[in-house]
Amino acid sequence: MTIDANFFLELFFHQLGLWWVVIPSIFLGLIVGGIPGFSAANTIIVLLPFTFLMEVEVGLVFMIALYCSSRLGAGIPAILVNIPGTAGAAATPLDGYPMAKQGFGQRALSISFVSSILGGLLTTVIALITMPWLARVGFYMHSVEMVVVMLFGISLIASVATKDTIKGLIAGFVGLMIGSIGADHVYATPRGTMGFLELYDGVPLIPALVGLFAISEAFMVIESGSFLSKDRVQQVQNASWAETFYGVKLTLKRWFHVGWTSLIGLVIGVIPGAGAAIASFVAYQQSRAFSKTPEAYGKGHIEGLIAPEAANNGVTAGTLIPLMVLGIPGGATAAIMMVVMQYQGVPTGPGLFTERPDLGYGVFMAMFVTYLLMSFTILPMSRYMSRVTLVSTVYMSPIIIAFTLVGSFVPREYMFDMYLAFGFGVLGYIARKTGYHVAAILIGVILGPLLEQYMLRALKMSGGDATVLFSSTLGNFLWVILIATLVLPSWLNKKKAKSEQ
Amino acid sequence: MTKLTMKRRSFIKTSAAAAGGLMIGGGLATPALASYPDRNIDVIIPTREGGGADRLFRAFTSLWKNHMNTNFEPGFFPGASGRVGYEVYMGKYKPDAYSLIFGNMGPEVLNWAVKAPSFNIDDYIYFNRVDTDPGCVFVGAESKFKTIDDIVSEGKKRTLNVGTSRLAHPASIGILALGEHTGAKFNLVPLSGGKNTVAGAVTLEMDFCVLTSGSVIKAADACRTMLVFNDKNVAGEKLDNAPTMNDYFGTKLPAMFSARAFGIHKAAVDAHPDRFEMLQKTGKKAFDDPGFKDAFLKSKGFWPYANYGGVKECAEFKSAMLEMGERFKPLLTGK
Repeated sequence: MTIDANFFLELFFHQLGLWWVVIPSIFLGLIVGGIPGFSAANTIIVLLPFTFLMEVEVGLVFMIALYCSSRLGAGIPAILVNIPGTAGAAATPLDGYPMAKQGFGQRALSISFVSSILGGLLTTVIALITMPWLARVGFYMHSVEMVVVMLFGISLIASVATKDTIKGLIAGFVGLMIGSIGADHVYATPRGTMGFLELYDGVPLIPALVGLFAISEAFMVIESGSFLSKDRVQQVQNASWAETFYGVKLTLKRWFHVGWTSLIGLVIGVIPGAGAAIASFVAYQQSRAFSKTPEAYGKGHIEGLIAPEAANNGVTAGTLIPLMVLGIPGGATAAIMMVVMQYQGVPTGPGLFTERPDLGYGVFMAMFVTYLLMSFTILPMSRYMSRVTLVSTVYMSPIIIAFTLVGSFVPREYMFDMYLAFGFGVLGYIARKTGYHVAAILIGVILGPLLEQYMLRALKMSGGDATVLFSSTLGNFLWVILIATLVLPSWLNKKKAKSEQ
Repeated sequence: MTKLTMKRRSFIKTSAAAAGGLMIGGGLATPALASYPDRNIDVIIPTREGGGADRLFRAFTSLWKNHMNTNFEPGFFPGASGRVGYEVYMGKYKPDAYSLIFGNMGPEVLNWAVKAPSFNIDDYIYFNRVDTDPGCVFVGAESKFKTIDDIVSEGKKRTLNVGTSRLAHPASIGILALGEHTGAKFNLVPLSGGKNTVAGAVTLEMDFCVLTSGSVIKAADACRTMLVFNDKNVAGEKLDNAPTMNDYFGTKLPAMFSARAFGIHKAAVDAHPDRFEMLQKTGKKAFDDPGFKDAFLKSKGFWPYANYGGVKECAEFKSAMLEMGERFKPLLTGK
């Protein structure tokens, strides 16, 4: 079989012919992505027997479409009601929700959809072209380098705390402390578990996520009676299709921003074990660092919404590369795909592209087709979805609390996790009432354990020698970029202010 | 036509007699065993739903239920390397042979050696072992090491970093024993799970890795196997015909398996020996059932690793794991 333009063209039309699998999977993915606790991975596990019955090609297309659309779906409740459906969408409400509260929910959804779709399409094409080289990223990004990548994300705590730095840093510190609960990564010594076995593996992410964001938000909006102020209600009611197109236009104008933030997602996605949560926080931090208007972030900035959404959709193509090229799954969903492929007798790793190039390249082409079909199926829905913000909080708050409590129960099926989500809800409510930023707490909870894991691994490998953190060329290069992105913006601002004086 | 009538008093008398007769007759005629099992048997699985243990459990019980005439109902309690499931089973379930645990004897028993659970570890016993998946030493496809001798000789010059899924794991014990035997220096680095361990070897972050061989077989050409911690390399070519440690180095290391088996409260065995006997007999029948191979293969199992073990084999293995765990405890706990 010759791998040329004709091959790819045929493959494209072939995958397009499977629209009858792709479109229902897109809608299923939107639903499971939007409900916290559900995800593409556990939906595929539940539907695994059906995937075994399907032809391998159809099964893979089904899984890919579900995977991509669930990533996009997770951003919808994050924007409209401040509930990230998955950890990968945890950075989305930072600017998405303020936009929705200003009555621009429809526009925010449109921006989110277009940046997700464009980011997904771009990274899929890049993945198709550069797969053999991108797969090598994992050979260079080891624990030492990942420590620096984590610090990129964690430094965001300082950025979100611009209003009150001390409170922001305290919130971030509390998050890091909560993130350190559980057995340590080397000797499995339990720390801060308070005797709860359920906390041995650390604080489960979904209860923390839904508690801090969703439940605390539900408590807040109960008090206000509505998501929106009266004049904003009017604005949403009067919004026409033009709002959607305006969102599309705003995003297309920032095509370069979509491009480079989605590339951050692609590169982080390729690293085995890294994921969408890291990618979206790092992309948001980088977007803010290089922005001409960093002070507008956190208040409904368009680029603050584009960055995490483009990045977490860039991750989808990235996580499949190590599976396809090296035979090692980059994430949970990729691991399940590997099970299905092996069950069907399809090789993973280098053999896939020689024995079944139609499947190897077909997976990425299916991803391309999914994103393409999403632009026709999802985008028009933004107008109707945004109406959620008009529903009275008398109804919405109990629904949010009920859904999120069920969502926190789903991953491990422990009642404990529901109590934990409620506890985090109370913590989030107190934090909001007293001016502490819940996002700063959450960044600590999500990225703290990952930073610790990579740091301890690096130290274990070096026999406890801390200089290992500066032992690699790539690592040192990343350290320089990290320091530059932290120091340069404020230095440039000061210089600019001085020259203006 | 004669009208059949029954007065209230005679109806009560007749009913009482009939009921009494049934109760006495039933009680005398039916031994206690015949009523067991009269409901589903709960099985605690101390890992996540959808994982390897779940698939194997479903494959085995799809046959076992026919021999037991009852269903097996799984409950998943993941967390703390299996500790949560065992604590729940030992602490919350009645010892009446209506509840079992389906555990992984290797890593889970090593857990007890590293940190004792809240219950007495002799208060439950394993039986009906379904599979044994030996640990192995492997490298990424691009590694410079070609044989186990290369690894040992390099390990004598410098300390090699060895990726493992977690410290308290049979494969970790295997490599520590190899280091002890040859004088090579190995530094175990836990990588949190099999997927990450394979990645650690493939991306060359680790010098080499150790893991249960089933996961290495799944990684296919991405990895090369160097040594197997078993008496025989039953996987042959799938594990690159790697030698076994005992054969190659003349050691007497017990097999370092990940071995899935059912567990039951010892109090249940003591109180209901007949029930336990039934569980064992029917379990063996299920394993020998011709349909099991098909179910096992469908669960993505590697057939040469299907390996039945009774109470004796399980007890020997549990004891060996505890002994090895105790021997290497300082290296596993850092204390």
